[in-house]
This record gives sequence, C-alpha cells and structure tokens, in this order.
Amino acid sequence: MAGDAESFNQLVLRWERPIYALAYRVIGRDEDARDVAQETFLRAFRALPGFKGQAKFSSWLYRIALNLCRDWIRRKKRTPVVQMPEDMDVIEMAADRGPVESIEDLVARNEMSRIVAEGMKLLPDEQRTAIVLKEYHGLTFQEIADLQGCPLSTVKTRLYQGLSVLRKHLESQGMTSFASGRAS
Amino acid sequence: MSLMFTCDDKATLVAYLYDELDAQARLRVDEHLRQCAACAADVGALAGVRIELTQWAAPNVELGVTVVRAGAPPPSATVLRPVPWWNTVPVWAQAVAAILVLAVSAAIANVQVKSGPEGFVVSTGWMTSTAGSVAPAVVPAPAGDAQWRPALIALEQKLRDGIRANKETGTVRAASRSEVDNATMARVRVLLEASETKQNRELAFRMTQLMGDINVQRRADLLRVEQAIGHTGVEVAKQRQQLNYVIRASTVPHE
Repeated sequence: MAGDAESFNQLVLRWERPIYALAYRVIGRDEDARDVAQETFLRAFRALPGFKGQAKFSSWLYRIALNLCRDWIRRKKRTPVVQMPEDMDVIEMAADRGPVESIEDLVARNEMSRIVAEGMKLLPDEQRTAIVLKEYHGLTFQEIADLQGCPLSTVKTRLYQGLSVLRKHLESQGMTSFASGRAS
Repeated sequence: MSLMFTCDDKATLVAYLYDELDAQARLRVDEHLRQCAACAADVGALAGVRIELTQWAAPNVELGVTVVRAGAPPPSATVLRPVPWWNTVPVWAQAVAAILVLAVSAAIANVQVKSGPEGFVVSTGWMTSTAGSVAPAVVPAPAGDAQWRPALIALEQKLRDGIRANKETGTVRAASRSEVDNATMARVRVLLEASETKQNRELAFRMTQLMGDINVQRRADLLRVEQAIGHTGVEVAKQRQQLNYVIRASTVPHE
C-alpha cells in the first residue's frame, strides 16, 4: 500500500500541471482550478484499484478532471448573479477590492492573452472544452469524443463553431492580422 | 466521405485544419481550396485563430499534491537503531536453543513423569524411590550425559555458524541503510529547493498583484482628488461671482 502511494505520487508529479492547466482553461479561475486538480488526484487514488488499464491513464485522469469541472460549472450556474447597482462607482469598487484574484490578474499577462481568455469565456462549455483538449492537450478527435461522450462529428462541429466564434471575437478586438494566413 | 469536398463540409475542413485527414482526403481538400476563395479564407482565418490561442498560457503552478497514508509513521530510514543480537539469530536456531535448554534443564532436574493409580505424578531431583511402586530411573544420569554431549556440541557449533552468518548479513544491511539515508537526504534537499522556488514564485506573484492593486487605488484617489478640486473650483467661482455682484452693486450710484 505504501508502495502504491509512492508510485502514485510519481504519477502526480508527471500529471499535476496538465490537469491543473486543463481545469484552469475550462473553468477559468486559478483557485478553483487548483481545487479541481487536487480533487482529481484524490479521486483517482481512491479509484486506482478499479483502474484496469483499459484506457490510457491520462485519459482516465482527464475524464475525472472534466467531470469535476462540469460539476463546478453547474454549481456556478446555480449561484445567483449579483447585479451591480447603477449608481455604484466601479473605480471605487476596484479600489476597495481585496487581493481577490481574477482571471485577468492571474493569466492575462499581456493583452493578447487577455483577449484570447475573454474569447474563450464566450464559448459554450462543450466548445471550450473541446478546443482546450485539442489545442492544449493534443488529444485526437476520437479521444475527445470518448471524453465528452459524443459522436466524432459532434466534436468536429464543436471545434469549428468554437473557432469561428473566437475568430469573430479576435476580429472585433482589432486582431485581423491572421485573416490572410493559411493552414499548413 | 464523398469523393468531392463541398463547402458545407465543415467537419472535413476541421479535420484538414488539425491534420487528421488521410492523404487522399487531404488532396481533395487542397484541390478545393485552390478553387474556392471563401473556403481558403475560412481555413486561413481559423489557422490564424489557432496561432493566437497559443498565446493563452496557464499559470505555471506546482500543486504539491502528495498521497500520504493516514496515520502512517514517519519513514524509519531516518532513525536507525542498533539491532538486538537475538534478532540476528534465525528463528529455527532460537527454537532449537530453547528446546535444548529445556532438555538440559529436565535432565539436570531429573524430571520424571509417572502414571499410576494416583494419576500423573511428576517428580524432580535425585531422590531414591521409596517403595516398589515406582520403578528405578529408566536412564542413569551418566549414560544420559554421554548421549547428549555430541548432540550438544553439534548444536552449539550450528548456532555459532548461524550467528556468524547473520553478523555478516547485518553488516550488509547496515551498508544498504546508509545508502537509504543518503537517498533520503537527497530527496529532502530536492523538496527543500522546490519549496524555496515555489515560495519565491508566490512572492513574485503577490508583489505583482499588490502593484496592480496599488495602481487601481492610486487611480481612484486621483479621480477623487480631481473631483474634489473641480467641486472646490465651482464653489470659488460662485463666491467670486457673488463678490463681484456685491462690489458692482455697491459701486452703482443711487439715483
């Protein structure tokens, strides 16, 4: 059992950053992404005896992480949105704000990153997840389909639609330099 | 997939974009893109979006997740205690020694177990039997000594050999433990360095965040100051107007 823990800790070292990055890009908040990543490894360790190796270990971890992200997104959507009163001074609010991290503070170190992050937030969860898995984790269409539990064609549609929304967002931000590029 | 690629086949277009098409299908798309400016522009723009997506980096964090068994004792490799000598003797040798001691003690004490009408009778010592109820000693003591001696010597030799062999093994074990010690120390050093790096990174991040907050606060303060100055300016202008009016009124000659 101690040997199991030791071996598992090696796997954690290998996968903690990819899993955190996945959670971060899907849910967009550092603190919550950390929680999701930690919970992912905890659940994986508990379920380790049941893992028979029928799937890749990474796919198995991704599935656990994505399920947790989905739960987080559902919980967030149930949370009532606080509307800002019209006479509220936004600058004063910003000034009174404590050291609470926002997505911009944490990730968008430069303008481009900020704009891309904003564009990703515009996408429906399924499209954003598909793009994250494809672009940042290099999964195949089939692997994404397995993780999202949908047909292969749906994955491609989600990717196309998501990229098209991002394209419009980037163009609206004045980033049109890429429009003349060609796929390799 | 159909033989001809059509403009509305977005799934194939995406597969082309991510290079997940077989060679023939890719050739068909290439051919179509040469003739269809709209699709070519679409693919080009989406490829550009993919390039922009690489700009979005996730923070480089270390979660420090480690699975530890609940209630597990600290690693014993860090604390080494001398092994008691009896732990170095094999169990079989200890058992033989125990039986030997018991047998010798029984022989010395001349333990006799008899079964008779009174039940089992256990007697010790070298007393002579009183009546004919008890038979004379079965084996005279000197004869018993003669039988035990070679066996005792052989066993003693065996025990000594066993102890010697275990001492050698113990030396090897001690050496391997020192290796474990070194490995543990190296790991502790690595963990300390990682912790230090993490703390430095956290500090840099907090400093950046603090600077951002200070900047926001500064802008808010400037705005307040500007508003206050504007307000004061209006008041001063009003007072000046009233003063001018009073001066003008006071200097107009009465008719």
